[in-house]
Amino acid sequence: MKIGFIGLGIMGRPMALNLLKGGHEVRVWARRAESMQPLLAAGAQGALSPADAAKERELVISMVADAPDVAEVMRGVASAAVSGLVAVDMSTIAPAAARSIGRELADAGIDFLDAPVSGGEVGAIAGTLSIMAGGSAAAFARAEPAFACMGKNIVHVGDSGAGQVAKAANQIVTGMGVLAVAEAFAFASKNGVDRSKVREALLGGFAYSKILENHGQRMLDRNFKPGFKSWMHEKDLNIVMQTAHELGLCLPGSAATAQMFNAMVGSGHGEEDSIAVLKLLEGLSGQGGEAE
Amino acid sequence: MKVGFIGLGVMGRPMAQHLKSAGYDVRVWARRPETLVGLDLPPEATPAALGAACDVVFTMITSSADVESVALGPCGLIHGMAPGTVLVDCSTIAPQVARHIAEALAEKGVAMLDAPVSGGVQGAIDATLAIMAGGNAEVLARVRPLLDCLGKRVVHVGPSGAGQVAKACNQMIMVAAIQAAAEAMRLAAASGVDCGKVRQALAGGSAASRVLDVMGQRMVARDFAAGIEARLHHKDYGLVLEAARRAGVPVPLTAAVGQQLNALMARGWGHDDTAALLRVLEVQ
Repeated sequence: MKIGFIGLGIMGRPMALNLLKGGHEVRVWARRAESMQPLLAAGAQGALSPADAAKERELVISMVADAPDVAEVMRGVASAAVSGLVAVDMSTIAPAAARSIGRELADAGIDFLDAPVSGGEVGAIAGTLSIMAGGSAAAFARAEPAFACMGKNIVHVGDSGAGQVAKAANQIVTGMGVLAVAEAFAFASKNGVDRSKVREALLGGFAYSKILENHGQRMLDRNFKPGFKSWMHEKDLNIVMQTAHELGLCLPGSAATAQMFNAMVGSGHGEEDSIAVLKLLEGLSGQGGEAE
Repeated sequence: MKVGFIGLGVMGRPMAQHLKSAGYDVRVWARRPETLVGLDLPPEATPAALGAACDVVFTMITSSADVESVALGPCGLIHGMAPGTVLVDCSTIAPQVARHIAEALAEKGVAMLDAPVSGGVQGAIDATLAIMAGGNAEVLARVRPLLDCLGKRVVHVGPSGAGQVAKACNQMIMVAAIQAAAEAMRLAAASGVDCGKVRQALAGGSAASRVLDVMGQRMVARDFAAGIEARLHHKDYGLVLEAARRAGVPVPLTAAVGQQLNALMARGWGHDDTAALLRVLEVQ
């Protein structure tokens, strides 16, 4: 398939590489030209602009930072006026923003899918991302061969915006999950109990989760390298809280969690992995942890 | 002195009338002309026209976007106000939006004060509002006689935006206090104790507050007709939480209260008084 790919950061680069490996013909564009080099070296074509990346393509994919960036590159894509094009945004943005971009593209005759991912850099490299898509079934069917190169658990969640709703829900669960594990570890330590033994004991029961297993291990190792940066989790939880505010939705747990992430960014842990929330908790309870 | 007024809602109306009673030549602009019925104040066709006719313009409107459009939009004040004139914005909006409007107006030589108020409809009617001002001190001194017609206490908090920061702090404390009063009333009732007596007992001690006095009484009487509509506090909480986010400051209690306000909105009580936070606690 002829695919355009826009945005070659930590996530976008390996995703585009996996499309090439899957035998697709990929044309790439990134704001910083040097980000395009690894892709060009691997056999991708280089584009001059988002519009150029969409030319003569069946599918164009964006993986950028935030809603204004998505809107901007998709305006470029729309200006290329390729008939029958399917545009897919795999960034994490607000559901309302995704729906509005979808409507604008529909006016230009372009089918749009919001298809954010979960699984982080590791999943992007391994091609094992979870992909949650919103939009028409026909567009989803067209994009599926490309999704299959990048992800494993690929779900068509519903209409336009539904993918972003699922991703926001994902961030609620992972945000509170990380905080829950950190609180459990702080609780164990303050009680003089070995937190690594607690983790081991819990792994066999109902408290088992991927987060307890993976993030828990990294907390024990005090390995705060991202992974998934705190400021990005904070940004995603802000999407959750803004949406809850607009809809009239009571989310007390998410609100409390969002404040912890707010504090992390404010106290200089924004570039660390979200598990650094452990350090914040230890500080609040006067537990030494490590002096950082 | 010619004074313009935009935003003739429950707060703006009595404020404009106080200025007129004090002898100022007050003219107005209203997005919906029907809000002018019963007011003996001459209307102008656009904010720009009003700005061109006045020395000082007051705005008292709901949202950041509305203030921005009235001030800087296509027919906005900026296109009419002369150098040396002053915009006094009494609305509650985001501090960064207040700063942005002030900067845009400054390029035209027009001064702006952010001057949000506290005290509610009764305070506006009685001219006893607390006014928290941000902006240049000399500009504030020039318009102070006008502000003295509206409120009892005018504090110059700091430079542009500082008034809005103070107002955000005011809302944090006030609505959290309403939530605390609601929880206390709920606990008393659930324990089979008379809420009115509890409120009365507390009024003499360390928990005494204006919120417990006014909102507490509404809770006891189960009179949820608005003073200030809860939807406005809900809007303000959006601003407060965004400001905290921008500053990277954790505000756990404010965030929790914000969720109770979301629930209040979801139950359809946005036009009731914020004392209806009690009803959220009663949802089974």
